[in-house]
Amino acid sequence: MTLGLGLLSLCGVLSVFLCGCGDLPEPYAPPAQQPVFEAPAESVRVLKMADPGAATHFVQDISQSLEANTWRWTGKRPTVRVFPGSNRKLRYFIDFEIAPATFEQTGPVTVSFIVNDHLLDRIRYTKPGRQLFEKQVPAEWTDPNAYVILAAEIDKLWLPLRRDAPPLGVILMALGLERK
Amino acid sequence: MKALAALAGAAFTAAACYGLGSVIAAQLGARLRRAEKFPLAFVLGAAVLHLAIFAVLTVKMAYKPVLWLLLGACMAIALHTGDWRLPRAAEPSQETRLPRVIRYLFGGIAAAFTVLYFFNAWAPEISPDGASYHLGLVARYLRARGFERITTDMLAAFSGGVDMLYVPAFAIGRHSAAALLHFTFLMALALAVLAYGKRIGKPLAGAAAALLVYLSPVVGIDGTTAYTDVAAAAIVFSVFYWTQLWDENRKRRILIAIGLLAGYCYAAKYTAFVMVVYAAGFVVWRTRKWQPAAMVAGCSLIMIAPWAIKDWVYLQNPVAPFANQWFPNRYLYVLVEKLWAADLRTYRLVNLWMLPLEVTIRGQATQGTIGVIFLAAPLALLALRSREGRKILVPCALLLATYFGNIGTRFLISSLPFLSLALALVLDTAAPAVLVAAIILHAAASWPPVLESYSDAWNWSLHDLPYKAALRIVPEEEFLGRHMEYQWARMVEKYVPPGKPVFTLTGLADSYTTREVLISYWGGLNNDIGDALAMGWNKTWQPATLWVFSLPQQKYRRLRVTQTGTATLREEQWNIHEIRFFECGSELPRRPGWRLQASPDPWGVQRAFDNSEATRWRSWEKLRPGMWISVDFGQEESVDQLTVELSGDEWDARMRLETTDARGRWIPLAAPVEKRKAQNSELLRRAATYEAHLQGVDYFLIKDHDFGAKDYAEYPESWGWTRLEHNYGASLYRVDP
Repeated sequence: MTLGLGLLSLCGVLSVFLCGCGDLPEPYAPPAQQPVFEAPAESVRVLKMADPGAATHFVQDISQSLEANTWRWTGKRPTVRVFPGSNRKLRYFIDFEIAPATFEQTGPVTVSFIVNDHLLDRIRYTKPGRQLFEKQVPAEWTDPNAYVILAAEIDKLWLPLRRDAPPLGVILMALGLERK
Repeated sequence: MKALAALAGAAFTAAACYGLGSVIAAQLGARLRRAEKFPLAFVLGAAVLHLAIFAVLTVKMAYKPVLWLLLGACMAIALHTGDWRLPRAAEPSQETRLPRVIRYLFGGIAAAFTVLYFFNAWAPEISPDGASYHLGLVARYLRARGFERITTDMLAAFSGGVDMLYVPAFAIGRHSAAALLHFTFLMALALAVLAYGKRIGKPLAGAAAALLVYLSPVVGIDGTTAYTDVAAAAIVFSVFYWTQLWDENRKRRILIAIGLLAGYCYAAKYTAFVMVVYAAGFVVWRTRKWQPAAMVAGCSLIMIAPWAIKDWVYLQNPVAPFANQWFPNRYLYVLVEKLWAADLRTYRLVNLWMLPLEVTIRGQATQGTIGVIFLAAPLALLALRSREGRKILVPCALLLATYFGNIGTRFLISSLPFLSLALALVLDTAAPAVLVAAIILHAAASWPPVLESYSDAWNWSLHDLPYKAALRIVPEEEFLGRHMEYQWARMVEKYVPPGKPVFTLTGLADSYTTREVLISYWGGLNNDIGDALAMGWNKTWQPATLWVFSLPQQKYRRLRVTQTGTATLREEQWNIHEIRFFECGSELPRRPGWRLQASPDPWGVQRAFDNSEATRWRSWEKLRPGMWISVDFGQEESVDQLTVELSGDEWDARMRLETTDARGRWIPLAAPVEKRKAQNSELLRRAATYEAHLQGVDYFLIKDHDFGAKDYAEYPESWGWTRLEHNYGASLYRVDP
């Protein structure tokens, strides 16, 4: 009786162990092919000054107060930080206006357009008014896995009569990157 | 109310164990003395009750009324048969009576520690393993009314013999009930050691040994939380005790108790399996016959088989999470197991000669101390001079032999009763006064404030007497809220929708959330997701080298890439992101008719053919010659180039190409190879997130000190994640829709 029980136990243990072996799968077919990821549309973007949360991208010299629900005053070097998630086919884009009132004092101004401390271009504006500037960014200036710092440096600022008021640069509507 | 429920949960479960054990002991004709009745009956009943609860969970009937009925039935039968009663105390002989001073001294010490332990066990449970996986699994089973097939948590593969008893206790009284039940095992263990001393006519040695165990700091904290080590020690000691009872009267039916308890050792803790060997060996040695040992083995199997079968059915490995090389499966990777086991053998101690100091005084690296008094443990060897001493040291040696597989201090607990008895016997014979002094020293050195004064700051031990928390004068939420593990669990509960898992790199108090927690290294799927995420930020793991093989231009039916290099590092694997085939510069589209195979890890082969750089087929075994990946095109295909994309953490891989001859045998192919730098996609992070999403994982709990935490925090847009909350040193992210 007990011997039988022992043998039964042994068989039980062996069968469990043997059944564990050799349970390898049949060959597999190729799986569904994964998509190739591109930067999400919202990552490569032009930052409009009225965008909700736009201020979280500001680095310096952009006013916290939004005027007429569309624009903000800048200081000498308005700078923003964006995360394009790519470094291919990126274009610098800026939409700004040189206010006639400030132009009267400053006269022609020169604006330098800067990407990650690289000078992309420099333009002298001899008339006030709305300006658009866009230009291709060399891929090697940016890291697809890091933030890109975009700036526009203005050579002459409008100086207020009151000492406690800030000097003014341009009226900024939008600044960012486009993919084209 | 919660405090009372906790007491009720523990009390009813313990009473059911005792009742059931009393009835079985009576049926087996065991004549237990008054002092040994509670501990032996309680543990024997626990063994059988655990099996009943296992059955309840298997048939998915774990409803509260069913559990109440089960506990009630165990108690009712014992009350009805009268087996519940303790035997009358025999008139104590001079031999078994302790001097009154010693009784008061030892009784006073035991009482002080019992108060400390009781309130700690009763306080809300937040121990690392107890609040995470022991009770996390119990809570999960209760929610599902039974066992669930869990393939993403290798801790669920361990036999849970003691955890089964936590099921009814938890159902009634939640977390603290389980801890209090474990405390009952601690008391049973101490009482059994005490009773054994009396039985062998060495009451002082028995009482001293009981205190050596009971006061041990690691025993104190383990036995007052929802761990299982102390319970396992109680079961182990019961096996020994019952073998000695059997040896006195040789009743065959006692062998049933021995067998059941020996099997329960395995069910409680894998490493305690040696008690089956001990029990069977002892019986063979004493009878010189195989039949009684076969009876012991057969009864053991009753306890072992359910756990082995469960793992075999769920994970194709009856001894999961170990031996995955012998029982290959897709759920637990061989290399992960080996690296984990290697860590358990060292706990990152540079010099194992430091182990005696570590487990007795320091306690940080191996998580706990057994007590400074055990520096004198070598003296226990002197017990070999006596017959009683030799009896005790045999199981002690067997248990210590398994200790070096996991050198955590708590893994000494099972051998501690034997070591303590042997030490106490030696001192009792040589110098009883020294033995008494040793107990006083042990008590003083184990008392929390004293212990804290000399042990490591992070020694795992009790610190105070949380009576206000135990009585819930301090609300449970407030007490638990001081612990980050609890706060993380509540964060998960708050944000993660029901039914959705959350992925994390290290653990949290799972038992306080109803969401499934996937820890990165506890399962094959978890490893794959963790690997993909790490590839997003760790450049070393990203595609680095492209091996371009130029094949003789002809048609091939099958091609195989065979690895011929040998790893120099223990964790080095063969990692392949993609294998592609070309003809005249154009890639062959991957047709459904292709058949892919790999060895090892045949289950993961598709990851080398999925067009994703965030996934890779990994050997999940140390790199060695003979590993391969093959493709059967299903028809003849013209191929003149084959590329294999390897990761940066690949130093020793060497490859050759093979094809089959007319008879289907693999033959080498002369294919010159050129190595190029692999081109990485810009958006590996996004691809990694997609991979996790495909596996159903959309939530990630990342602690500030986790690998990659900085990257996740700085570039959530790049990962495609939104941070839902950052608090208590962790961030919870959600994959953007």
